[in-house]
Amino acid sequence: MAMVDVRDVRKIYRRDAEELTVLDGLSLQVQAGDFVALMGPSGSGKTTLLNLIAGIDKPTSGTVVVNGTEVSRLSETQLAAFRSHNVGFIFQFYNLIPVLSATENVELPLLLTSLSKKERRERAATALKVVGLADRAEHYPRQLSGGQEQRVAIARAIVTDPQVLVADEPTGDLDAKSAQEILDLMETLNRDFKKTIVMVTHDPRAAAKAHTKYHLDKGVLTS
Amino acid sequence: MKYLPYVLKHLRRNWIRTASTVLAIALCIFLFCTLQSVMAEVNALLEGTSANRLVTRHAVSLVFNLPLSYGARIQSVHGVKRVAINSWFGGSLPAKKEGQESGEGDSSTTDWSNFFPNMAVEAEPFLAMYPEYQLPPDQYQAFLQDLRGCVIGRKLADKYGWKLGDTFYLESFIPPYRKPDGPFEFVVRGIFDTDPVKYPGTDTNIMLFHHKYLYEGTGRGVAAGSYWVEIEDPEQAGAVSKAIDALFENSDAQTHTETEKAFAASFVSMAGNLALLLNGIGLAVTFTILLVTANTMSMAVRERRTEIGVLKTLGFSSPQVMGLVVTEALLLGVLGGAIGIGGSQGIMWMLTHAPGIKTALAGIGLSELNLRPLVASLGFVVALFLGLAAGFVPALGAYRARITEALRAV
Repeated sequence: MAMVDVRDVRKIYRRDAEELTVLDGLSLQVQAGDFVALMGPSGSGKTTLLNLIAGIDKPTSGTVVVNGTEVSRLSETQLAAFRSHNVGFIFQFYNLIPVLSATENVELPLLLTSLSKKERRERAATALKVVGLADRAEHYPRQLSGGQEQRVAIARAIVTDPQVLVADEPTGDLDAKSAQEILDLMETLNRDFKKTIVMVTHDPRAAAKAHTKYHLDKGVLTS
Repeated sequence: MKYLPYVLKHLRRNWIRTASTVLAIALCIFLFCTLQSVMAEVNALLEGTSANRLVTRHAVSLVFNLPLSYGARIQSVHGVKRVAINSWFGGSLPAKKEGQESGEGDSSTTDWSNFFPNMAVEAEPFLAMYPEYQLPPDQYQAFLQDLRGCVIGRKLADKYGWKLGDTFYLESFIPPYRKPDGPFEFVVRGIFDTDPVKYPGTDTNIMLFHHKYLYEGTGRGVAAGSYWVEIEDPEQAGAVSKAIDALFENSDAQTHTETEKAFAASFVSMAGNLALLLNGIGLAVTFTILLVTANTMSMAVRERRTEIGVLKTLGFSSPQVMGLVVTEALLLGVLGGAIGIGGSQGIMWMLTHAPGIKTALAGIGLSELNLRPLVASLGFVVALFLGLAAGFVPALGAYRARITEALRAV
């Protein structure tokens, strides 16, 4: 059974009488442990597809099943719980909370669990160690470089030990060296920690790290 | 509780904005508590009045006295039970001088910081119409038999440590009530108590002495400050008042008669209008602060739109995100409320301890001004309401925010 199973999904945005079809009958299967890159021009529907897989948006029609759960049928509250347990999200602009330290940022998703403060801190420390930032635990985002911020964001994404990681242009805001470090880290997470990764990217070097590449154009998969 | 550090960090994010919002709420609660405390004291003062007592004073102003002959004429009005002169003496203890016996002094060294209400009355009829003042019979008789004698309330006795037989001196700030040879000497002949359940609001921080002593001491030059009139039937208060005033309609000193409650109200700056004014000010300030706080909260939340999207992406549900914003707003209310209540308590302590103001307040019967627990609790509730009301709209916005739109607002 595929970790991610997208079947005949259509996503239409409506504004007044105008309709914009972003995904048009798209189907996609991602096997557990796979590392998938979604490529395509701007407006092709990459991020929309990623949002559907991550459970932060719902399709107009079709089904999205992630880790055995039909995401497209869940209520808003059920979706929130689904995201907290099953999906780790890596943003292009890191989106760390500026008033929280690296540890506190990583700890944030664990506030939704029943773990004690000590356990939360231990898990956050472990996640920061995995991304190589144990020595920056008490630093605030403004005190970190772009690459370090993204690594903190990755630590936040993996701290709840989700099966699926979705990344939207994770290297889009980084210099070449930092981008390479982030890609190496994602490769490690995929290879050593068996995380299923779905990554949207424009960068061919990033796509080269993936096992499978898909191209989207005008809401349909072309390859 | 595990979310509290997160909320506190956000409040510290823009500490100037947080501090100004807290201070705005604090100002509102400060005004609310202070004004309501003043109103509560005024109401307590008015509660201590009786419906079957009238006050007849000079129609022009309380400053002018009424002829002594008016007493008998008022007594003749149908429905009047008894009449007593009551002149507000306005005396204060003379300041102590080095090497001088305690309590002695001259007019130039009067200590106005030790002011308390003191009245020259016609003792027998006045005490007869005041069942509130419970005086032992032997002390009552001793008072009647001593021209220099006085009776004091329990609170006043406790304040100065006075006991029966003690003497003290008072000097009035009203020139006609002064003696050329120095202050009046008084002997404590009675200490009265009151039943706070039966007679709530009765002030025992006062002193009463014989009007005859004042009259004789000033060379028989003073008249009556006002007449206190007890009537048979409180229902007839209006008719009796009109009848009394009609008696003196064509005289040089026309009178104005009103119930004791109305008199007390006018004495504390027309308390009816005062209540309206104070409540109006309080309401206007509260509403203004509500708008300011709501605007501040909206700005704070709008700035964090992306963060709200991130929280929801991480798995925080919409009610949880809304709860965080509401908690933040409530914390502002709690902080503002605490500071406001503390400030109000502080200003009331200052008012009741600052010499000049203390004297002025005591003069109108407000010898004590306290922040009552009920007022403080109400103030705290208002502060919480302000926080909650100010945070509601931005919290609702956070609740409704769609992740995809919130994340696009980078």
